[in-house]
Amino acid sequence: MQVYTKPKSIKENSSFTFCSGCDHGLVIKLVAEVIDELNLQENTIAVASSGCSVFLYDFLDVDCIESPHGRACAVATGIKRATKANKNEKFVFTYQGDGDFASIGLGESLHSALRGENITVICINNTNYGMTGGQLGPTTAMGQITTTSPTGRNRAYHGFPIKAAEHIALCDGTAYSARVGVYNIKNIINAKNAIKKAFECQIKGLGYSFVEVLSSCPTNWRLSPSDSHRKIETELTQIYPIKVFKDITND
Amino acid sequence: MNQKELLKGNIAIAKAAVKCGCSCYFGYPITPQSEIGEYLSAAMQERELGYVCAESEIGAINMAIGASSTGAKVLVSSSSCAISLMQEALSYAASDELPIVLVNVMRAGPGQGYIYPSQGDYNQTTVGGGNGDYKIISLAPSNVQECIEMTYKCFYLSQKYRNPVILLLDGLLGQMAESVELAENTYPEIDNSSWVLSGAHNRPSREIHSLEPNQDKLNRHILDLNNKYKKIEEEVTDWEEYMCEDAEYIITAFGSLSRHGKAVCKYFREKGLKFGLFRPKTLYPFPYKRLNELSKNLKGIIDIEMNLGQMLKDIRLAVLSNTKISFVGKPVGDWLKRDELIYAIENVIKEDYASIH
Amino acid sequence: MSYITIDDSKCKSCYLCIDVCPKNLIKKSTHTGKTGECIVEFSDSNNQCIACKQCAMVCPDIAITNVYKE
Repeated sequence: MQVYTKPKSIKENSSFTFCSGCDHGLVIKLVAEVIDELNLQENTIAVASSGCSVFLYDFLDVDCIESPHGRACAVATGIKRATKANKNEKFVFTYQGDGDFASIGLGESLHSALRGENITVICINNTNYGMTGGQLGPTTAMGQITTTSPTGRNRAYHGFPIKAAEHIALCDGTAYSARVGVYNIKNIINAKNAIKKAFECQIKGLGYSFVEVLSSCPTNWRLSPSDSHRKIETELTQIYPIKVFKDITND
Repeated sequence: MNQKELLKGNIAIAKAAVKCGCSCYFGYPITPQSEIGEYLSAAMQERELGYVCAESEIGAINMAIGASSTGAKVLVSSSSCAISLMQEALSYAASDELPIVLVNVMRAGPGQGYIYPSQGDYNQTTVGGGNGDYKIISLAPSNVQECIEMTYKCFYLSQKYRNPVILLLDGLLGQMAESVELAENTYPEIDNSSWVLSGAHNRPSREIHSLEPNQDKLNRHILDLNNKYKKIEEEVTDWEEYMCEDAEYIITAFGSLSRHGKAVCKYFREKGLKFGLFRPKTLYPFPYKRLNELSKNLKGIIDIEMNLGQMLKDIRLAVLSNTKISFVGKPVGDWLKRDELIYAIENVIKEDYASIH
Repeated sequence: MSYITIDDSKCKSCYLCIDVCPKNLIKKSTHTGKTGECIVEFSDSNNQCIACKQCAMVCPDIAITNVYKE
């Protein structure tokens, strides 16, 4: 008996083009599993963004549009409002990196949460700009060495990083905001549950739902995939706690 | 037949958009076009349609990208300096082949400038500020009635050619009220079922993206776009000729300034000088061919604009060395008056000056 | 007998599956894959696989998608 199989919503014969050990593939797989479990494949419009996350449409077998860098939440807002106006409301989620969501696109991201847009955001936080070679991003941790913080992020030169899930939880329009990780089996299961919960919030029409996924970038961190996961578990979770920051279904 | 009503250009555009089935509006306030968003905030809510007071013009135009990808008829309106903020998204929308209607009610620039009348966005509209080989169709109305007709046409052309379309007017026209008829939209509906995102139900999933890592595919895509633009140039180019049949001099002007141009023509005709006016109704595609034909038998062309000669370079490209080209313009402020124009044009055509008096 | 199949064409040699297998049934093979590194192989001569799916869950490249339990 087959007890595990490729999610139906992952395109046949597609191979992830991410670096070895990159968590993007893992998260896309989880998203696909949740889409399958909630039977959303035929009713979904996904929004990919700029950076490594843009390749979503190569792998995920749902209707998908790429947005300009940082504007995924605005594009998703347009899709949701338009399909609702035309009495054919779709399930809409964005798949963004931390630079896309929390740096160049912070205005669009925060305002869509404040408006309580009934969309879901999956944000991959790997603490750097991965696709361009590992530069300092909005989530780069204090002290972290990147190609543009060669002596480590410091207050005087670079200022502080953003904690996206905490900020989003403060918005009145947010129904659900959580930070998860995929650095071990227990957390992979929790991450999938969080994505499912976020998707369900949208299905119920509760408002903006947000899942930040602490993810590895072994290539730019110059660590093996295993060591990258260990770094997340031992270091990053201290700065970016794994936690549900808001869940109105519990209130 | 509909009754005549007194409408401002801005309100006329908003009403026309609703009338031809616009289901989403996204915008951010900026003078002199805010009435469009104000009117539609109520009109769209009443009809349970899409309306968002966006966080910025960048937000607004990207919401339009999203809405358009689902096949909705989308309107975005703004003005000059804020249209600058939308250039990135317009480049994406052109590459993604998304129909979006964008209204630009021009104010004076560069920078923030002010809300004075101006036609300073001709270059921004026809050349564009986004990256890559792309084109945006643009229509320039000269009166409020034409604002209505061209709004219908903008929606039609954007759907037909799957391309963003800009309706370009100056603040004067946006704010000016005229007696107009809100006629029916007679353009046919375009079937978009072959490309819109609607959920992969009973069909393979679809992707809309401009990113293309494969060099050959990217080349093909850009060449395909270019072929579409050639088709647009053949099929969409539109202009008005006023007393051009026997003209010795032709005034070129676009938008509301062309109305002064007509008054000037009449003045010179009364003085015995054969003046005509040529007005491009589409700025892209520009009517190069027709203007070239007309220019062959002229003593001169006088281009008038409320800027420092932005359309002038297209006039030159059209006319080549067929005849002499002069320019009369002013970048900002009160609209060029008929008498100012007459004075300037009389100086331009000195050799015929004696025959006038 | 429980077992898994590994798609050699998709394995990118990240070795995360080696880390999680509770029975140490996955190890580096002598074949190189698409990254130029040795890919992994599954060998279970003593029928120890319990089809716990952890290797499949952690694989970021959907190279392990077929897990069978008998």
